[in-house]
Amino acid sequence: MNIVTKTGLALALGVGFIASAVAQSSKYKCMIQMNAYEGEAAYVIISLINPQGGYEKTLSVLGPDKQWYNTLKEWYKFQTKTKEKLHAVTGASVGGGDRAIKVLEIDNDKLNKGYKLRFESAVEEQKYHTTDAEVALTTDGITARTNGKGYIRFVKLTKAQ
Amino acid sequence: MTLSIWRYAHLLLALISSLFLLILSLTGVILAYDAVDESSSSYRSDGLDTVSVAQTIRIIKDLYPEIIELSIDKQSRVYLDALDAESESVKGYIDPRSGMLLGPVAKKSDFIQWTTTLHRSLFLHETGRIVVGVVSFLLLLITLTGILLIVKRQQGWRHFFKKVHRDFFAQYFHVVSGRVMLIPVLMISLTGTYLFLSRTGILNKTEAVQEYDLEERTEEEWIDNQLAPADFPIFQDIMLDEVERIEFPFLEDDPEEYFILTLADRQITVHQLSGELVSETRYAYAAVWEKLSLDLHTGQTNRVWAIVLGLGALNILFFIYSGFVITFRRTGTKIKNKYRADNAEIILLYGSENGSTLAMANRVHKQLLDQGERAFLTNIDQYGIFPNARELVIFTCTYGLGEAPSNAKKFEQRLVDYPQRQQVGFSVLGFGSTSYPDFCAYAHQVDTMLAAQPWAGRTVALHTVNDKSTADVAAWAQAWSKETLLTLATAESIYAAAQPRLQELEVISKTDITGDQDPVFQVVLKPKKRSRITSGDLLAIYPDNDAKERFYSIACIEGNIQLIVKLHPNGLGSGYLHQLQVGEQIAARLLANAHFHLPKKAKHVAMIANGTGIAPFLGMVAANKKKRAIQLYAGFRYKTLSNEGYAAFAHEQIAQQRLAGYQVAYSREENSQYVLDLIRRDSSYFGALLRNGGVIMICGALQMQRDVEAILETILANAGANNLEYYRSKGQLLTDCY
Repeated sequence: MNIVTKTGLALALGVGFIASAVAQSSKYKCMIQMNAYEGEAAYVIISLINPQGGYEKTLSVLGPDKQWYNTLKEWYKFQTKTKEKLHAVTGASVGGGDRAIKVLEIDNDKLNKGYKLRFESAVEEQKYHTTDAEVALTTDGITARTNGKGYIRFVKLTKAQ
Repeated sequence: MTLSIWRYAHLLLALISSLFLLILSLTGVILAYDAVDESSSSYRSDGLDTVSVAQTIRIIKDLYPEIIELSIDKQSRVYLDALDAESESVKGYIDPRSGMLLGPVAKKSDFIQWTTTLHRSLFLHETGRIVVGVVSFLLLLITLTGILLIVKRQQGWRHFFKKVHRDFFAQYFHVVSGRVMLIPVLMISLTGTYLFLSRTGILNKTEAVQEYDLEERTEEEWIDNQLAPADFPIFQDIMLDEVERIEFPFLEDDPEEYFILTLADRQITVHQLSGELVSETRYAYAAVWEKLSLDLHTGQTNRVWAIVLGLGALNILFFIYSGFVITFRRTGTKIKNKYRADNAEIILLYGSENGSTLAMANRVHKQLLDQGERAFLTNIDQYGIFPNARELVIFTCTYGLGEAPSNAKKFEQRLVDYPQRQQVGFSVLGFGSTSYPDFCAYAHQVDTMLAAQPWAGRTVALHTVNDKSTADVAAWAQAWSKETLLTLATAESIYAAAQPRLQELEVISKTDITGDQDPVFQVVLKPKKRSRITSGDLLAIYPDNDAKERFYSIACIEGNIQLIVKLHPNGLGSGYLHQLQVGEQIAARLLANAHFHLPKKAKHVAMIANGTGIAPFLGMVAANKKKRAIQLYAGFRYKTLSNEGYAAFAHEQIAQQRLAGYQVAYSREENSQYVLDLIRRDSSYFGALLRNGGVIMICGALQMQRDVEAILETILANAGANNLEYYRSKGQLLTDCY
């Protein structure tokens, strides 16, 4: 690595730090490990849940085909009401036994205020799990490994970089 | 019999699946277009077989501190999901050699996503997938039965790609494109079916997992044995073209977190510190086949194949269309029988393969019914006892190597089982094409079989029709009419599949009937549109505004159409024409009748008419500007006003040299004379006329035609000349009788 790129990188890191400080948000890598169930790939929605237990924001959608969104009933009600733009956070569904890693952006001020991350899942017309896994947004809780109750075996978050 | 099973199978399957197939092939064409479009993406990386996994990891590790996964799609695009140095998400295509970002990932448009869903499951979720799967399977069966039909049609595998006989557009291209598009359509249906089976989980997809034992190490020992991923020998050995996906460890430095590499036929996990192989999962064959099927079905791996698939899908649309056209033609002719088999006098039997022979038989049937004849039409296999039959007419094509068509397979046996109890005349009309070696072979067979029956007498010799020639049919109609005295139209256009449109004509004038003895009147009509029509052509009118039609020979004088009609008591056509008022509009058809036009080259012409048969000749004479020598012979019953009008007209034409002479005979007046007497009187003229290349035209009653021809035959025999058939074949004897 030459001097120019090194300075560039350092500069970029500096700017990045300032930017994230201003935005007051952090990026987390989130791994979802699925159980080895039989059937089609699962659709998983990661949403931010406010202290009142309501949906606040959709952080990630694992599943590209809109025709199945109504199988995730609770989230779908929220989605049809708010009509959030999902394009930027939508990706592939995740099959039985596979794992998926997603990058989530979470505002720092949501930490330790009673917010949660909800992982809800559905596999087409099979059983729907409103809360397959739930991660408390606390300083300690966020990075703890959380076991799922449905198609998800566990989820784990880690702060990026 | 086997043929019809395959044909019904082919048709039934096509019917059931056609609606779904229509959707699937339409969406398939769109998706193929999308696949071709994708394959020309500018984010492609070439030479992936020369770039190792290690090389790429070394470069991207430096540029992107946090890497989630790297994948390579079917279009050789290297996709990276990572966070860059500024912690910004990077999701896009990169150059695997420089790590440079080429562009963001292109999400499929909503339209393509929508089309894909429609193609896969018709928006019906699991039900839709099953429907699509079953339809793919049906398409596979349709393709296979279609191949069998082509083999049967081409008379064996060896002739599979030999020339296909062309009956009509839909049939020809159904077969021709069927042969060419066989492979892609077969592949589409086969892979589609396999993908469906694979999704249902019927196929065994057990994977063989091989776990490798790694040494037990402490954390320090791991650190000591650590290698940079770029230095892993296993990564140096694997080139990017073998890779589908590389998942990077979730947590760095965690010995429990591995690199997961998805390759074409297996998945391997690699220790992130030591670079050792942790486990290897070989996919089951079913899974490998599934991938191959998907590639072949979508055409994502190869641009040319994607184009071929698109054409295949487009062709399925065409198959649906042309298949239905063929079916419609085959079943399109509805037989409307007015009489039952046991009281009909004329029995028409047809042996038809694709419906064109039936259509022809039906036209004959309709004409006979219109004239009140007791005719009955059915297929050859319905042959049985016909207690009132006088005439039996068989219309048949030939299938394959001189075999009976599918609805005549039982005829030979039934002919033995059901001998008729009275004498019946028969006539066979064979349909086929001289481009096949066994032209009308089955018709010949039928003719021979019938001739061997003691009750059967041949009315007219076997006639053959080449490539649906209307002229051939008209020739048979003429011969048959002459023998049976049952009128059949002899204008070719009546036997053509597409009838000319109706046109509007205005009644210009109409004469009154002058005498009760001979109730004849004249109608002059003016076509609203200029039409190419000549004297001798036919006018078809529809008195009841339904399918019943009546034909009249016309004279064409100064662009107007002149008819001479005899009013019959309760006559449908004549009654209708008689009640017309001047200025009224009627809808009718003008039909060309080329075989009864005044020959262009003949210098000497004799025209023979009786009764209203004089009509076309009046027009021909009036149009004789070249002053050719025309002798007009006419026979009437009474010396009525209108008949004397013709004489006046004739003398006027004689004065203008358009007519050389007018000979007329009145049968119910003093010195009763028939037109035949005039011919007998002028026998030397007629003999010389024919020998010198002159033409005789006859128009009027069939009985008169038969008698005239008999006299002419005698005249020729006495003169030692060729017989009448000879001159007929040279076009020197033209007839239009009814």
